[in-house]
Amino acid sequence: MIELLKVLLAGVPQTVAITTSAFAVGAVLGLPLSMLRRSSLGPPRWCAASMVDVVRTVPPIVWLFIIYYGVGSGSLQLSTYQAATVGLGLVAAAHLSEIYRAGLEAVPAGQWEAVRALGVPPLPTYSRVILPQAMIVVVPPMASFAIALLKDSAVASVIGATDIAYRAVQQTQMDLNGLANFGMAGFLYILLSIPIAVVARGADRILMRKLTGA
Amino acid sequence: MMEPDSGPQMKPLLELDAVSVSFKGHEVVHGVSLNVAAGEVVALIGPSGAGKSSLLRTINFLEPPSSGRILINGQEVTNRSGRRELDAHRREVGMVFQSFNLFPHLTALENVALAQIHSRGIPRAQAQARALKELAHVGLASHAHLKPAKCSGGQQQRIAIARALAMDPMAILFDEPTSALDPELGVEVLATMRALANEGMTMIVVTHEMHFAEHVADRVVFMADGAIVEQGPPSQVIRAPQHERTRRFLAAFRDR
Repeated sequence: MIELLKVLLAGVPQTVAITTSAFAVGAVLGLPLSMLRRSSLGPPRWCAASMVDVVRTVPPIVWLFIIYYGVGSGSLQLSTYQAATVGLGLVAAAHLSEIYRAGLEAVPAGQWEAVRALGVPPLPTYSRVILPQAMIVVVPPMASFAIALLKDSAVASVIGATDIAYRAVQQTQMDLNGLANFGMAGFLYILLSIPIAVVARGADRILMRKLTGA
Repeated sequence: MMEPDSGPQMKPLLELDAVSVSFKGHEVVHGVSLNVAAGEVVALIGPSGAGKSSLLRTINFLEPPSSGRILINGQEVTNRSGRRELDAHRREVGMVFQSFNLFPHLTALENVALAQIHSRGIPRAQAQARALKELAHVGLASHAHLKPAKCSGGQQQRIAIARALAMDPMAILFDEPTSALDPELGVEVLATMRALANEGMTMIVVTHEMHFAEHVADRVVFMADGAIVEQGPPSQVIRAPQHERTRRFLAAFRDR
């Protein structure tokens, strides 16, 4: 039991690394994508919309194969970790851009009118007025997505990223004790998701307090 | 009090020349011309759907006009004006909304300081000092550190007025500033607006507050169906309207 735990725990850093870096890539790329989707001009809006649709419709595992075996086998050599970050980062960007979009749309039209009427330029309009309000709507679904991404990061094991799922597969090929190995792996994923939920709840509370007054 | 047609001899602060406004091909304001002199208080009255709010919102390009010219201080803004020109124009014309539109995540002080800092480029400390001064101006210095949710509707609207004042606008547009308030709270907003009028602020007020129009405005403009039906000093338009349409509208208030 302790032996098994040691084997699987060795995969935790890789699982955490893939999840956090893919989430970071998605969180950053998702922002311009969501703004493009709200553009008043047709072409940027259509481009962003079809990108989001294509990325979300193709299964993550196929993206990993495309990036690792397709792109990564050419002149550009990618490690399994890099390929997983890029592939899952793309998927995260598509999902998070939709979450951001919902957040931006939740900000009342009157807020946009107020800043426009005051002649506030676009950058402070977003950073000081719109995004702080959108955050409140965005944090809970972002946390749900982070937990989903943590679980989905297990697909990186199929291209050989040495994460929790990969270690469980390896172990099972040696001892054929699948129930214990994957049961323990599942338990580790649950444990890892708890801090995300805790952080999200705390952030939500702070944001709500900011909105309703000190 | 200003004569209704004092425009021609004095250069008007604000000139609307044959301004039309359309929504999705449907014209709601039909070529309205209106000059407003510096220091003048104009009350825009009329039934819902008359195009009062649309006309007001066109003045600072929240709705771009479908045709016509808009000049402030002789400076024309058009649909082809770039964002910077438009922003500059909007800084000159304050706007107070029916639903206040304060920034809910910021304190009253931050609400009033924000555009000074990010639109006018005034240093933060200086902007906050000015914000406090304008909050005192509307009688809410004690509320500087409260979020809008902790203030009454009337207080929120006065904070919104302070926010407009802090930008040193040449004129302030009021879009039914008391319509979202119950009468008791509306009174404090109207008192604040009356004080501003006495200080010489140029104001265009879309309102259903006939008492305010009659006693505070220099000129009353009655609009119906996207056009000006008649205008003049309140004593004339409200007390002795010339047009049947105006009489019918005002009767609805008198019979209340």
